[in-house]
Amino acid sequence: MITITINEKKITLEKPVTILEAARSAGIHIPTLCHEDILEPYGGCRLCLVEVEKVPRLLSACTQYITEGMVVRTETERVIEARRAILEFLLINHPLDCSFCDKAGECDLQDLAMKYGPATGRFAEGKRKHPESYDDPLIVRNMERCVLCSKCVRMCEDVQGASALCITNRGSKSYVEPFSGGRYNCEYCGNCLTVCPVGAIMSGLHRHDYRSWLIEREVETVCSYCGVGCSLLLQIRGNSLIRTVPKIGRGLNRGLLCSKGRFGYDYISNSERLDTPLIRRNGELQPAAWSEAITHIARRLKEIKENHGSDAIAGIVSGRCTNEDAYVFQKFFRGAIGTNNIDSVASLAYGPAQRFFERIFGQGVTANDIHGISNSDGIFVIGGDPTGINPVLGLQVRSACKKGAPVVVMGYAEGLKRFSKHAFITNSTTETVLLASLVSEIKKKKSLPGERPVFEEIISGLQPVPLKDASEMSGFGLNDLVDTVDTLSNMINPSIIVGRDIVQTSTGHMSLLFLAALAYLLNGRIYLLSELPNEQGLLDMGCQPDMLPSGRPLTIETFRTRCEETLGIAIPSTPGLNYVEMIEAAHAGRIKALYVMGEDTVQGLPDRNYVSDALRNVEFLVVQDMFLTETAQYADVVLPSLSWAEKEGSYTNLERRVQLTKKAVEGEGIEEWKIISEMSKILGLDMGYRSVTDIFTEIVRISHIYREITYNDITSGRCMWPYKGGPLRHDVHIEGIELPDIVSVMKNADESGVQVRREAHLFHSQNASRYSPALQSISPEPYVKMSETLAGRLSLRDGEHVKVVTEAGSITLSVHRDPCLPENVVLIPPFEKGGIFEITKWKVNPVTKAPALDGNRVIIET
Amino acid sequence: MTFKHLVKTVFLTEIVKGMALTLKTMLTRPVTRQYPKEKRPAMPGFRGLHGLVRDQQTGEARCVGCGLCAAICPSKCIYIYTADSLDHKKIVERYEIEALRCVFCGLCVEACPYSAVILTEHYEYSDYSREAFYMTKEKLLANWDNYMGWEKNMEYFKKFWHPTADDFGFPKNQAVFRGKQNAR
Repeated sequence: MITITINEKKITLEKPVTILEAARSAGIHIPTLCHEDILEPYGGCRLCLVEVEKVPRLLSACTQYITEGMVVRTETERVIEARRAILEFLLINHPLDCSFCDKAGECDLQDLAMKYGPATGRFAEGKRKHPESYDDPLIVRNMERCVLCSKCVRMCEDVQGASALCITNRGSKSYVEPFSGGRYNCEYCGNCLTVCPVGAIMSGLHRHDYRSWLIEREVETVCSYCGVGCSLLLQIRGNSLIRTVPKIGRGLNRGLLCSKGRFGYDYISNSERLDTPLIRRNGELQPAAWSEAITHIARRLKEIKENHGSDAIAGIVSGRCTNEDAYVFQKFFRGAIGTNNIDSVASLAYGPAQRFFERIFGQGVTANDIHGISNSDGIFVIGGDPTGINPVLGLQVRSACKKGAPVVVMGYAEGLKRFSKHAFITNSTTETVLLASLVSEIKKKKSLPGERPVFEEIISGLQPVPLKDASEMSGFGLNDLVDTVDTLSNMINPSIIVGRDIVQTSTGHMSLLFLAALAYLLNGRIYLLSELPNEQGLLDMGCQPDMLPSGRPLTIETFRTRCEETLGIAIPSTPGLNYVEMIEAAHAGRIKALYVMGEDTVQGLPDRNYVSDALRNVEFLVVQDMFLTETAQYADVVLPSLSWAEKEGSYTNLERRVQLTKKAVEGEGIEEWKIISEMSKILGLDMGYRSVTDIFTEIVRISHIYREITYNDITSGRCMWPYKGGPLRHDVHIEGIELPDIVSVMKNADESGVQVRREAHLFHSQNASRYSPALQSISPEPYVKMSETLAGRLSLRDGEHVKVVTEAGSITLSVHRDPCLPENVVLIPPFEKGGIFEITKWKVNPVTKAPALDGNRVIIET
Repeated sequence: MTFKHLVKTVFLTEIVKGMALTLKTMLTRPVTRQYPKEKRPAMPGFRGLHGLVRDQQTGEARCVGCGLCAAICPSKCIYIYTADSLDHKKIVERYEIEALRCVFCGLCVEACPYSAVILTEHYEYSDYSREAFYMTKEKLLANWDNYMGWEKNMEYFKKFWHPTADDFGFPKNQAVFRGKQNAR
């Protein structure tokens, strides 16, 4: 216990903290410009100077730790004099353009100058000149305003780990500049904008559009881009969204954001948005009234149900739909139409992976706290770049690495290049073999804990793969692999981060089993990367062909009858088709009507031509989307949908935290659940919902996972798995897991040619990002990444255009050379035009039912 | 009944007195103003219809859209919408005053660092619709042209609205401290 006196107030603290923290805990405000809670103390601005008894000089409160009996005064005349002097120095160079600087009203320097500063200055020699930089499409730098607190530089280096900014020059000529010069070449997280105390680094998106006091409302909601679910503050004037800002210290992101959360909000005000339903008449989509469109859809669905049976109708839900919309959608399909042909985008990778792990370890095994990653003593990343797919989760990996945890990466991870101890980039079959050999080596070093005897039998029954064989097959050095095995087996509580690339391969089920074995042997926590905000919610809501809400199998009669009794509907007992099977069935002509809610199937599935053919084959296609997507262009009826900022609902993120999205602005359109309940009424099932709360109450009643939770629980931020006590289904079904025949995989592996793999791109996340002009402006040109040797052999330079040809088609892309890549792999990100899915074909993995992308060989023509 | 009273009653002196006043007033100048024909000049500092100052050099509104008037306005009747121009300057797209909600306190004029918003001496702006009192930027500029003008404005401004700070001019390329007083 340390007792100190600040401004005659006695404060007792348990730990030695800085004077600044002690004062803040007692509610005493000490002004700062260079201090930020998530950054290390810096002591650069000297505004936090305080007077300490028995110390002749003034001390900076942010760096000085408290000691017993310390007497501090924060607002004496001497202190105020010192602060005024510092402000006068700062204002020598700071321009007086407050009247058109966007920061005015929320500017720390302005507030301090009002409080302490001199009204006039004595320095008459003129100010530092530095032209404002507009080179960057999103970030405007005005270095005349900079007070050199260096918060942006420290944020970029210490927290974001991007190290893109630095202070250039010395003395009064110093200014902040990205290493790349005028235009930023970074992750565009924009955290430098958050911390800038003055208007030196500002977002160009809403430049000169607002004054901070003209913002009328603030709505705290959840980001709509990825499965992390960062808290955002939407600032609104009238009915327009002015900007999104993070809420410092709030939510699971604690005030950090990524490019998508910060700059990607502008898709909701995109002029291409649909505002009226469209019905195809005489081969053309023509505007129609809402009532007309809804009756038309209901009538056509009824006809098809009567003529071809219920199972000729299928529904696909997007990961952008809220829990409530998804729940109503599956209820409509099961109850009103009478089919289990309902699936979501989660079944492409996230769902199968989760199901596999839950089968072995029980429900909720992937529900781990994201903050736990930074506390783990080792990280194994496979199948995706966490800094690209879930950037804020990726920051936790970097933070762990900074604390000394070794990071082992399998697969391409651009954002972890400088942080990984071992990185193995190869094609997917070799990846599985590599994983198998790592597991069989670790098995020798680690004893089995004995908790799960059945699974331990499986682990001990795995075929051993000597490191030497794996080294020969993959081309990685044997010493490297031995080192990796050592690194991994030294981990005590590692985090294992699994992305979708490992699931979407023909050996995906094997990889998942090896990963489960690895997690079990190392006592690791598993995290699944999720590219969409509500993939977990879709699984929980029962948007799966064989699962009821709360992840209970449809085929078990007790579950089904209980669900039928509670809801008063009849649920068909045979499981339906999953997403990929639906498209295949549509291609074969067995699906007559397809209802796609919020998903762009053509863009989202690997083989574009095949999917387009399939959609053309569907007799009646309904697409509900914000934009006239490629899928919508094939539709018979297009319904406009509301964006995430225009409706109420809840999202469940990848760690199974339920969070609320709130209505911030009025949109033109009707909520999804309302549209579907209207249709359902016409088809004879009156759902009787009046608000989203009604739906959520029903979800809570029917789903054993969400039992007893209320919107109040969610708002208070405590809605973490397990929500109210444990899950009900503890049983695991390990029986039936086949032991992988890895030896024959090695024998039959076809290593010839150059394989194409998907790169998870930070700015092109295949969903709303393509309608966000801001995100599109960062990196507009599609590219192919290839190794130095391959590029050298074809004598290609960076930026040169090549034709990438596969069996499925060809696209022209510019070349990016990457020294980290092996010779037999090229990477293509999923751009809208010139993306990887234009030239790939898929096979279906027999166990996970996910589309497998491996084996797509490319020829590069110059 | 007194003698005085008797005289008043007999000779009807009250009436004579009254008639005398009538006769006298008839011959003096009337105090009533024939309002629509005859207009009363506004008192100095009168706060009438709003106007936006047109800059002499550019011919555009002087307003930079800092929003201080809207911030200080007690009846919240000023709406400002600004945007970024192609050459990265701040432009005022809409500057609107809802005159029917204005209480004519003049705080906006005091708050304006560029003396760009003023209250003219014009007070005759009755109309049949509410829309006519919704002052757009064009209307406000026209008000200035019609009812104030540059010379009158300077006089008016110096007399009544000049801010007390030392130098509050429109910044030339960059604002510089030009204070005469010694900083403490």
